[in-house]
This record gives sequence, C-alpha cells and structure tokens, in this order.
Amino acid sequence: MSTHSKRYALVIDSKKCIDCKACVVACRAENGVPLTKSRNWINEEHRGTWPKLLAAFEPEQCHHCADPACVRVCPTGASYQRADGVVVIDDVQCIGCRYCVIACPYDARFFREDRGVVEKCDLCARRIDRGDMPACVETCPSKVRVFGDLNDPDGKLTELLEKREYRVKKPEAGTGPQIYYLI
Amino acid sequence: MKTIEWGLLIVNYLFLGGLSAGLFFVSALATYLRNREDTKDSRIARLGALMAPWPVMLGCLLLVFDLGHWYRAYKLYLHFRWMSPMSIGSWLLVAFTLVSLLYCFAWLEEPQRNQLFAFVPTRLNFLHTFNSDLSRYRRQLAAIGFPISIGVGIYTGVLLGAVQSRPFWNTNLVAQLFLFSALSTGSAALIIALLWGRKTIEFEEIRLLYTLDICFLTLEFFVVLPYIIHGKLSVQAVQDSLKLILGGPFTLVFWVFFLGLGLLVPLAIETWEVLPTLWSKASVHFNKVWAATAALLVLMGGFLLRYIFVYAGQMSAFK
Repeated sequence: MSTHSKRYALVIDSKKCIDCKACVVACRAENGVPLTKSRNWINEEHRGTWPKLLAAFEPEQCHHCADPACVRVCPTGASYQRADGVVVIDDVQCIGCRYCVIACPYDARFFREDRGVVEKCDLCARRIDRGDMPACVETCPSKVRVFGDLNDPDGKLTELLEKREYRVKKPEAGTGPQIYYLI
Repeated sequence: MKTIEWGLLIVNYLFLGGLSAGLFFVSALATYLRNREDTKDSRIARLGALMAPWPVMLGCLLLVFDLGHWYRAYKLYLHFRWMSPMSIGSWLLVAFTLVSLLYCFAWLEEPQRNQLFAFVPTRLNFLHTFNSDLSRYRRQLAAIGFPISIGVGIYTGVLLGAVQSRPFWNTNLVAQLFLFSALSTGSAALIIALLWGRKTIEFEEIRLLYTLDICFLTLEFFVVLPYIIHGKLSVQAVQDSLKLILGGPFTLVFWVFFLGLGLLVPLAIETWEVLPTLWSKASVHFNKVWAATAALLVLMGGFLLRYIFVYAGQMSAFK
C-alpha cells in the first residue's frame, strides 16, 4: 500500500477513438443517466472535401479540475472536491440552483428535472473506491481512456505524460483541467 | 451540453432585487438630505420606504421557485461560502429584507400601524408590544440599510461577473452596470409613484428624482461604453462573446431597446425637463406625460439589461 496522496485523472488518446459511443452507453447504464442527458460525450470534427478528409473524435466529460469553478460557486457546498481530486456532488445538499452548470467552462454538468438536482461525471466514484475502473474506461474497446493516479510515480499516467505530448482543453478558463489529451 | 439554465424567473428576480435596492437607496438619501428643522416629512423618503421591501420579496419568491427543490432553499442558510457570490447574496438578501421592512415600518403613520396590528389575532396579543413608533430611528435605519442596499444592487452583477467561464459576464463592469441600473430603476419607480399620487408634486421633489436619475443613467452609460471598448480590446473569447450584441441575436434589443429607448431617450427627456433650472431659478418643465414616459422607459431598460445579460452570458463560452 502506497502512502502518497492520490490524484485521480484521465489521459485520453483521442486518435484511437472510433466514435462507437460504448463509453456513453456504459456510463448511462452504470449511473442511471436518462436518455436525454449525458455525463460523457464525443466531440466530432469533420473537415475537408473528398478525398482530402478529416474525421476526428474526442471523448469528453467532467475534467475534475484542480481549481473547479463549480465548487467555488456552489452556495451550499453540495459540489465539492475529494482529497483524491475527484469532483462530486452531494445530492442531499444540492438545491438545484444550477449556478455550477453555468460556471463549468466545459458544460459538463446538467440539471435533472426529475430529481431536481445537478449531475455530472464523478469518475464512477463508487467503482474506483472499490478498486475498479470507471465504467467508460473499462468498456472502451479501443482503449482510448487511461485512468489512474497522477501522483503515482510508477503509474501509467506518469509514464504516458512523460513520454507523450499532450494538451488540456480551455486552460485559459483557469480551472486547471485534469483530462490530458495525447497529441 | 449547452443549455440556458437561468431564464425569465432569474431575469425578473435580478430586476426586482435591483429595484428594491434602488428604492431604498433613494429613500435613504432623501431621509439624509432632509434638514432636521423641516417639520414636513419627505414624500420621496416615505414612498421609497413603503415600496422598497416588496419587489425584493417577490423576487426572492421567484428565486426559490426557480430551484430544483424549492423547499431546500433553507440550506442556503446552513452554510456561508465566501467564494460563492450566491451564498453571499442570499445572506445579503435576508439582511436587506429585514432592514427594509423595519425601515418601512418606521415610516408608517400611527393610524396605519394600528390598522396593521388590527390583523393580529387576540391569542397573539403580546405582538402589540411591537406596535411602537420607530420614526425617530429612520436616519439610523437608513444608515444601516445604505451599504446593504448598495450590496444587493451590486451583488446581482457580481453573481454573473464572477463566473470565469462566461466571457460575456466575466468583468467587474457588469457589477457596476447592474448597480447603477438598479439605482436608476429605483428613482424611476419613485417618479411613477409620485405621479400616481393625487397630491401636487413639488418642484424640489421632482428635481431631486430627475437629478438622481440623470446621474445614475449617465454613470450607467459610462459603464456600458467601457464595457464594450474593453471587451473589444480583450482576449479573443471576450471579443467573440461581444458579437452577441454586435451583430448577433441580441443586437437589436441591446442597441435600440436597452441603450436607445431604455437609457439615452429617458436621459434626454429628463435632461430636457430639468434644463430650465440651469439658466434661472425657474421650475422644471415638468410635463407629466414626459415624466411618466421617461420613468417607464427606464424601468423597461433596467429589465432588458438583465434579460440581455442573463441570456447572452449563458450563450457565451470559451471555444
């Protein structure tokens, strides 16, 4: 058992993504997300005219930012960050004001009218707490997503981020996003 | 998933909260400006005091019903989170409502107070001990409420401005804009209230309201200008967000209905009204139709400002 504090994050190798949306379905099943909403999604980019074409896919979800705007604006503390970096929502404390939905630069949150609270990706907190992978990571057939602990010097994330070029999305929003996209 | 989360309930609340703040501010100012020797009460101070608590209370009701769980609103008061403008604002609203109610009570005449306490059921007779004359504390209550009313007026802008992910909002100019607009709607509402009353309007009364409104509208105008200029000189995301009012869906409502009809036209009318006082001791023009038109336009402008900012802000984002 290591004694260092954990910092969970995702590394995403978008080039491997084939837009099968298995991650979206797995998330929906795991977290009971209604069909009209989504905790994760795939951005698509199509460019050019035949035969010079580009079709690029990029999975996205909550970035579990280092300095999350959603947590800062929450008036009741329902949105909070766990010691391991995962940003979660306490359903009981959420009053449904939706300030966090507006404050998220990634539009990763949504309001569930039926439950009157805000929801988003929590990296499958229940699963990772018992040592499993998040549902989207486990199900991905082309192994786009890599989940792990950034603070683990021998971990997969450390290795990938040391060896590969990467970027984060919208760093100018100043929230310190923690999804790393390999280039 | 991009959605518009805050709609007309929030727009109305921001407007009503600002209106109350403005009414209280102008009333408190009129209370101060009155000489201690004056035997007659200031009608502006009285009307403002009597009107101030109600719009904000209605606004808070709208706010509560906008929540996913209206009955969870109490949870706002189990926490104080100083980094969250909404948390600060919810405490400010309570403080403001209490002070403005007390201030309103202090302006009630004795027969009015007795009428009010006639509603108290006999079982709650002890409540009658509260039926006391607070009129001597008006100045103190005005003093306490002064900063709180400014706080409420400015916080509605901070609520939007302190969101770093929405470039259209993310400047402290929004806070100043909302404050001056709030104060201006307060003085406009008082012009309407004066016109509504049957008593003749005195020169000093209408001059005070016109002067205040001209000041507030001018201040507001000189915040709108830098808002646009700074935005155009800012980073790409802010420049892009300004396209919402520079050619985008909010262009007409911003330039014609807010800035034109809701700000510059009433400013021009009110300036024309007080113009004679600049040359001689002559009275203001005081045309009732013009006064009512200007005041109503100011209220419309105040509402539209909130409408534009709430909606356009939510549509702006980093690319």
